[in-house]
Amino acid sequence: MRSFRWVGMVLMVLAALLPIAAPAQGNLDIDSPAITALRASMQQRHAQLAPLYAAGAVGLAGDGTVAIRDASGVPLAQRAQVNGLVAAENADRVALYREIARANGHPEWEADVRRTFAQRWIERAQAGWWVQAGGNWVRK
Amino acid sequence: MRRLVGVALAGALLALSGAGVQPAAAAITVDALTLSVKRVDYPALALRGLVLRLDVATSQLDLRVASLRVGPHTLQDVHFACPRAALSYPVVECRGGRMRLARKPLPVSIDFRFDLAGRGARFVAAGDRGARVDARFDPSGRLEARLSRVPIAELVRQFQGMLPGLAGWNPSGVLEAELDWRGAPSMEDQATGGARREWLRLRAGIDNGAFGSADGQRAAERLAVDLSVEASAVEDRWQWVARADWKQGAAYLHPFFVEAGPRIQASGRLRGDRLTVREASVALEGVGALAASGNFDLQQRQWTDGALSVADADLAVIGPRWLAPLVAPAAAERLRFAGRVSAGLRFEAGALRELDAVLDGAGFSQPGPAGGGVSFGPVSGHVPWRANGVTRLQLEIGGARWERLAFGPFALAARLQGDRIGFDRSVIPLLDGAVVLDGLALQRVEGEWIGRGGAVIEPVSMHLLTAAAGLPAMEGVLSASIPALSVRPGEIAFDGALVISVFDGYLQATKLRVHEPFGVASHLTGDIEARHLDLAQLTRTFSFGSITGFADADIRGLELVRWRPARFDARVASSPGRYPRRISQRAVQNISALGGGGAMAAIQRRLIGLFDTFGYRDIGFRCVLDAGVCKADGIPGVERADGGFVIVRGGGVPALDVIGYNRRIDWMELVDRLQSAIGSKAKAEVH
Repeated sequence: MRSFRWVGMVLMVLAALLPIAAPAQGNLDIDSPAITALRASMQQRHAQLAPLYAAGAVGLAGDGTVAIRDASGVPLAQRAQVNGLVAAENADRVALYREIARANGHPEWEADVRRTFAQRWIERAQAGWWVQAGGNWVRK
Repeated sequence: MRRLVGVALAGALLALSGAGVQPAAAAITVDALTLSVKRVDYPALALRGLVLRLDVATSQLDLRVASLRVGPHTLQDVHFACPRAALSYPVVECRGGRMRLARKPLPVSIDFRFDLAGRGARFVAAGDRGARVDARFDPSGRLEARLSRVPIAELVRQFQGMLPGLAGWNPSGVLEAELDWRGAPSMEDQATGGARREWLRLRAGIDNGAFGSADGQRAAERLAVDLSVEASAVEDRWQWVARADWKQGAAYLHPFFVEAGPRIQASGRLRGDRLTVREASVALEGVGALAASGNFDLQQRQWTDGALSVADADLAVIGPRWLAPLVAPAAAERLRFAGRVSAGLRFEAGALRELDAVLDGAGFSQPGPAGGGVSFGPVSGHVPWRANGVTRLQLEIGGARWERLAFGPFALAARLQGDRIGFDRSVIPLLDGAVVLDGLALQRVEGEWIGRGGAVIEPVSMHLLTAAAGLPAMEGVLSASIPALSVRPGEIAFDGALVISVFDGYLQATKLRVHEPFGVASHLTGDIEARHLDLAQLTRTFSFGSITGFADADIRGLELVRWRPARFDARVASSPGRYPRRISQRAVQNISALGGGGAMAAIQRRLIGLFDTFGYRDIGFRCVLDAGVCKADGIPGVERADGGFVIVRGGGVPALDVIGYNRRIDWMELVDRLQSAIGSKAKAEVH
């Protein structure tokens, strides 16, 4: 049963990292070396973040970032690393939104790209993960 | 008995009236006593709405207090029931009493003895698991209390009303404490109108302590802390001195992880809801001296203002613990610090208002994943900053390093104003030239830096530059004029031209942009135009064989990721004009090898072995790189029936053509072949 749960988790993660269907205003699955590097970096980091999502320590924020929700379950000495992990993930996410807008030839679309991704990350979050809805944390 | 009760009541009224009691009503019967007291006020204690009932026949006492204040905290609905009470004037005693707070029973058994005449009292509360509170009140208003083995979690749970701020922190641990509180107003003081004086001494120890906020961002475990407070007051104006020694455990106070060791000594005053820390000194590893002061609003539970001074701090110690988590949490584990710093900071309403930092040989570095990286320092000088004022930053920087390039010492001066920084003209030595920043002004907007300025690279010898970068030695100079350098979130744009005069020609880079300069997606884009490059020098430099002649190149949309080309549209062609054009046998073989599917006519293959050099008419090659594939083409307008493309068109005697057939070349394979050709490690392919 546990292995099925992990298979599901991995599939969800892959789905979340797969290119997203293009909105009317642009191509969100556009690729570039920078976007590839960012996706690879985020995918690599996901192995560390996934248990934190599942434990509710970190949640998916409504603005397309991730945020520390309740670090109580994380060993004290590791909370600074979690903070660093979240900061690094958010730096990559912000860069990803900028790069996708830039690769579309419209840097001014960054806010739209971010909004769309924020919705998709939350839609694709696994059951049990915490996501922000209307500024409040809710468990999917 | 009747007389006894009557006397007792009279004594009680007499005794209590001395403490400001206003009796509301009392009834006397033969078998029972009912006493109502409207209010009692001591400095450390006050109560409202006391109703005491004593059944003399059954020795049962029942006490209810609508409101009880102990220190600054208030309990509502206090109920005390004693099954073994005795009244023997002037003493009221109880054994085995039980208390309820807001109708919840406390897990303690309470004994007390109250001398109505002398106004002395003793109170002992014993918990079910060994906790004990032993308190004595004497007639002078002195309170002595000893708390032993008191479970903090239980204490906070039971007294949530008194400790509302603590309940959300889930504190736990075991508390040992001794309290000595003196200073009820003497009759003499009141009579003469003298000032009321109080004195307090507290010694406390917490063992195996822990706490945690709801979000886990402030938490501690296995704490052992000793605390002592001495305080005195005149008319509620307290002066205090406190010491705290953190002996064991660790805490995470977002974003800092701190382990036991710090010791604090502080003094200040308390008046109403305003707690003033006049001076606090903290002994902290890596810091010569750390002092703080400030004002805390007890009602709002927040600092209204404060100041912090740090003297002679070792950056190698405090950098990773206190600076990196704050300024660069994502890179905290990779940042390295050196040198020393002293600083003064002033806060208001939780926001930094002033900063003065003096750096002494400070160094900052971030090693790259494969060596190199960035380093800065040693840096010495003064960084003053005011939220609402103009200051000048003045730093002497001993040098800097970016990957393999080392920059020399330079002075950095800037005008600071709030979120704005305007740099003076800075000349940063680079090899035999310099990078000059001119008029660079930056502003922090919503956490991101934006700004603009200009930059110039004063001529740098290519010979030295290539040697420093580990590239084959090239002659010439590099210079740049960037009149419009702009900084935006995720992008640094260089609008101007970087020119390298090399191989008797020049190479000019324009539209240079560094995107996402500080992350994994860091990449550089731009256009490059090269004109009249002497191919003889170029091929000699890269050991590519020998070609005489000149070439032009245009590289549009160049994108470098980690200094490796990821995208471009590059064209190379012979420069126009009349000049000798010869190509060596080895160069022909190398160019053929680069094409992968390059070919020559059979007769040409025979020729290659007979002559050392060949004449050519022109050279042309185009590579459009995208997604790791180079789409190749040759000299424009020269078509071949067999689908091949001509890279070298022969001319003169002897002459030959080099033809490519593979129009899609794997870029990494091409790079490998080029490196092999340059290093002469692989035998050239000639078909």
